[in-house]
Amino acid sequence: MISFLEVLERATTGPMMSVKEYDLKVFIPAVREVVKKYRIQFDPENPCPADNDLADRVYQAGLELYSKVGTYCTDTERVIQFTKQEIEQAVYECPKAVYFGEGPDRVEWHGRKPDDNILPHCHVGSGTNTTEDVALKMVEAYGRITRAKTLSIPSLTTAGTLHASAGSPMEILAAINMMRIARDGLRRAGRPGMAIIDLHPSCSSGIGTIASSNPEFGARKSDGWIVAPHAELKITFDSLNQVAYLSSWGANIGQEAGPMLGGYAGGAEGAAVVTLAYAFHGILVARATYHLTYPIQMMPVCSTTPGMIFLISTSSQAFARNIGAPYYALGYAAAGPATKQYFYEAAAYLLAIQSSGIGIEDVHPNKGVGTNQALPIDSEFTCEFGHGNTGITRKEANSIIKKLMGKYMPHIKKPPKGRNLYECYDLETMKPDDELKRLYDEVIKELKGYGVNFK
Amino acid sequence: MKGQELFGKLKQAVVEGDSEQLVDLVKGAIDTADPLAMVEKGMMPGMTEIGNRFSEGEAFLPELLMAAEAWQEAMKLIKPKLLAAGASVEKRGTVVIGTVQTDIHEIGKNILANLLTIGGFDVHDIGYDAPASKFLARAEEVGADIIAASAIMSTTVPYQKDIIELLKSRGLRDRYIVMVGGGVVTQEWADQIGADGYGELASDAVEIAKQLMAKKKGA
Repeated sequence: MISFLEVLERATTGPMMSVKEYDLKVFIPAVREVVKKYRIQFDPENPCPADNDLADRVYQAGLELYSKVGTYCTDTERVIQFTKQEIEQAVYECPKAVYFGEGPDRVEWHGRKPDDNILPHCHVGSGTNTTEDVALKMVEAYGRITRAKTLSIPSLTTAGTLHASAGSPMEILAAINMMRIARDGLRRAGRPGMAIIDLHPSCSSGIGTIASSNPEFGARKSDGWIVAPHAELKITFDSLNQVAYLSSWGANIGQEAGPMLGGYAGGAEGAAVVTLAYAFHGILVARATYHLTYPIQMMPVCSTTPGMIFLISTSSQAFARNIGAPYYALGYAAAGPATKQYFYEAAAYLLAIQSSGIGIEDVHPNKGVGTNQALPIDSEFTCEFGHGNTGITRKEANSIIKKLMGKYMPHIKKPPKGRNLYECYDLETMKPDDELKRLYDEVIKELKGYGVNFK
Repeated sequence: MKGQELFGKLKQAVVEGDSEQLVDLVKGAIDTADPLAMVEKGMMPGMTEIGNRFSEGEAFLPELLMAAEAWQEAMKLIKPKLLAAGASVEKRGTVVIGTVQTDIHEIGKNILANLLTIGGFDVHDIGYDAPASKFLARAEEVGADIIAASAIMSTTVPYQKDIIELLKSRGLRDRYIVMVGGGVVTQEWADQIGADGYGELASDAVEIAKQLMAKKKGA
């Protein structure tokens, strides 16, 4: 694989162009061309297709796309380009397993295959906004879910009474504070070595990541450190600074990307191909050893429409069959927390990604927007789902997903708001109230009736 | 070619985002056809159609951008003729739009900028990572009616509040309509900081901008 220094050299010597030129003259035409050439077509009747040939065509389209468009560096206004051969070599050489955490909480994460009979990696938690008064209890609650292998920690939006604005000292203080809280919460849960792999959600700047990585605050290189591009396929020096630091430290770097259905990638077909292109970007530019994807539809905002399920299914299958590195996907439900619709949407999304051969994570309620919206019961649902549906095939998943869509799609544009953590949990015991317990039992029974299993 | 046939072809070229075809059509007709009618009866209905398709999920950002690009190329030829004839395309209002300081996400902002253009607004896009002072400076320069600020992350939304506070500190709060939006922005946040408008979706925001402008003009 070409070195990171070579990547940096290309970032400073590659073809120069404006961002508008890149979007309009390079990116959009290239996406359209490969979608047509590789005959990628969304079939609403098969949102989770069991079609290996289609999966491999999505892979080939993504490979060709990335060799045409590369990654645009916004600071130098240059394109970091790679040949097909360089990309293929990087895929061949990239790690196919990653190790997270310490001591008895250490886990090994391998790639899976579509229709695989291997238990998926169950990742829990949420990097969404959480108030400081409940952050510790949330982490402790996540840590107590013994089937959870790794977790995401909340994002604090304040440092004391001050807003943690991006790039400000308050952001750095919030990030450090959350790191301390998270490690403390995991110790209280009896899992001090459990890895946090969404570092760091409380900051959006490279300097925040670097500041909060001091082991004095509880950070470890065996955690997972996220480096994000921005849509589509653009990177800043700030993100490359993170890579320079984290790779020199020897930390696990995670590539995260949220391609947009309806954005520059176009429809579901283009967004599926772009999702693959991000994997190549992750391996080569972000130097990632694990990958998180969270594609999202712009209208309606969520990840559970037929087009989105097609996008995540086909791109996950393409990744699992042809790259095989640790990979997981984060979905956003339109419905708010503690609603039946949330669980229908979550089940549909998890069915798609688990059967397509990748790791699973809690689907975030209410589009990931708002404060204190994530609930520990979402994480319990994820793990019970993952264990209960080991071995489920894409064909079986597709059939159940269509039934679930029949329940939630009529309400996707006007979903129920639900109740937040304060409204449906006892914050002393971190247990759901009776109303949520009843709703959960009912929805599990109903989902079992559709063929979804829980263990 | 003139009349309905010309208008139909102009509309089609806009819908298809075919800059070359649109420019050729305009060049061929500009000396004989009414430039205002070419815009209002040909190109504008094309923009409306692509905007409607986008709102219905039948077209996406690339189609929107291509249509806007074609529109801009054609307007380079049409504008001098309009000026010479003393005519102008009616504008609903002038908007300065950007993504706030330290935030580099542009897609949502770009979509709204294009939909506002389609909706008849004169849009001035100041790009991303724009501090409050840049919003205000451009708004003063172009005589804006609306300042629209996008923020996608929880760590960048506080900078939307800075824009409102800057306007207040300069005694200019009443001069501008301030709209906020972006991934993590909610109606509650918009209310909390005293913004005038918020739309969860870009298409909502266009309607809200129209309503706020109507209210401003009526005031």
